[in-house]
Amino acid sequence: MTFDSNAFLIIFTGSLIAISCGFLGVFMMLRKMSMTGDAISHAVLPGIVIGYFVSGSQRSLEVIIGAGLLGILATLMIDWLRKRARVQLDASIGITFTLLFAIGIILINLLAYKVDLDQECVLYGEIAYLPIDSWITKSGLNLGPRITWLAGLNFLFVCGFIYLLFKELILTSFDENFSSVMGIPAKGVNLALMSIVSYTTVSSFESVGAILVVALLVVPPATAFLWTKSLMPLLKLTAAMGISISVLGYYLAYWIDSSIAGMMVTVAGVLFGISVLVHSKKPMWLGGTSSVKEPFGV
Amino acid sequence: MITQVENPVLEIHDLTVSYDQNPVLWNVDLSLPAGSLVGILGPNGAGKSTLIKAVMGLITPTSGYVKVFDKPLNDVRARISYVPQRESVDWNFPASVLDVVMMGTYGKLGLFRRPGKKEKELALKCLEQVGMSGFAGRQISELSGGQQQRVFIARALAQEADLYLMDEPFAGVDMSTETAIFQLLQEMTASGKTVIVVHHDIHSAMTFFDWLIMLNLHLVASGPKELVMNEEMLRKTYGGKLNLLTRVTDLIRQKDFNPLKS
Repeated sequence: MTFDSNAFLIIFTGSLIAISCGFLGVFMMLRKMSMTGDAISHAVLPGIVIGYFVSGSQRSLEVIIGAGLLGILATLMIDWLRKRARVQLDASIGITFTLLFAIGIILINLLAYKVDLDQECVLYGEIAYLPIDSWITKSGLNLGPRITWLAGLNFLFVCGFIYLLFKELILTSFDENFSSVMGIPAKGVNLALMSIVSYTTVSSFESVGAILVVALLVVPPATAFLWTKSLMPLLKLTAAMGISISVLGYYLAYWIDSSIAGMMVTVAGVLFGISVLVHSKKPMWLGGTSSVKEPFGV
Repeated sequence: MITQVENPVLEIHDLTVSYDQNPVLWNVDLSLPAGSLVGILGPNGAGKSTLIKAVMGLITPTSGYVKVFDKPLNDVRARISYVPQRESVDWNFPASVLDVVMMGTYGKLGLFRRPGKKEKELALKCLEQVGMSGFAGRQISELSGGQQQRVFIARALAQEADLYLMDEPFAGVDMSTETAIFQLLQEMTASGKTVIVVHHDIHSAMTFFDWLIMLNLHLVASGPKELVMNEEMLRKTYGGKLNLLTRVTDLIRQKDFNPLKS
């Protein structure tokens, strides 16, 4: 088989997106906020539309800022509904993101004559078109696919964010009260995480779409968590799964001539199913880290 | 029966805390001396946990204020340590015992800095103090309730604070461990630290604490153990329900014999 640069680019980009989403998803899962990721990925729609309208371009900074702000707004709204209005978490998520998403749809329709944006394009991205959308500088230099650059940049942001705030993320995920007593701002860390989730969602929606990006946030971490109970292996397994679903997803989609993003998520779902089945008959060597069995004295 | 002290470590002034317009603590006004082991006693729903949460600023009081080391709370956070109730966190979290104890050092590290060798050694030392050295590498999901509690105490020790607030640290801890941890707390208070413990068992409270706070929505008593531990105060705190218990307590006290402790 000869080297297919288009296939490589698509798989490479898919992996970058899947790993970025997976890493963030691990922390969302540990905070029991996986569905907040879902909410954010939909709630950013009005921000995208407004950003698009203001700048006239789908690729501008305004779009990312708009989406980021809406992501934070959604987080704050969910939190406010839950704490102040005493609405249950699932209900407050449901209310918030459907409302914001609906506003986004209305905005798209209102501004449809001015902007080249429709629901389809936001809901279902298409990673297969990536090689034909090149980033060409003014001097005419072809730097390769734009979406790959976006995904790469996003990947660096996510890794940098997690590296810098690693201990804060862990502490506030595990025990929010304890971190508040110490003076580590749990709310600030939470909002920072939510902004980067918003940013990731926006930079991924052109390639995988707003719906499937949720699967990439939730499924790989949940699958990895079935196999390990410590954090570093959890992150590594999530990354490995991100790469394997890109590879398998691409070739399966190529084989049956269908959507690559759809196939990636289907593969993720199948891997999750297999993990659940295998895990329910877990062999001894997966038992965990218990080795000390002798009694202890105080 | 409320004893106020000069130069208090902790001063609570006219504190009222409400949830949804319902006050759960009324006009609590007390001060605590440095270097004492303080027990907070009271029936279920008396507001014991609420009191220490209000001290740490986890709950905003309706009125009144709290001063720690004669300063507002935010100036002295690094000197305060907290042992939350065990049930307040999810123990399925993917972390080892050592990871959790190291969390105690994060406050002093500050933003962006990672724990290093020094923090690890401190954490191991704290684990040793609570008798959990052999468990450092174990995942926290594989601990028993009492062990979880001891991990939390070790994490608080790793903070190297001057004021410790512990919310029922002995729930689910066996007798010998409880005694050992009490001895550890007594050593800490002997070196000038102040430890405040929400506690349930009146018998061990009498043995180990220097200072007692009795709470039942209102502050019933706050003072040295010898002054406040009497039937009248206990009855005021626990109501008539405690008749039997106080009688047992008196009996044990007179005979200086405790069948529950060897």
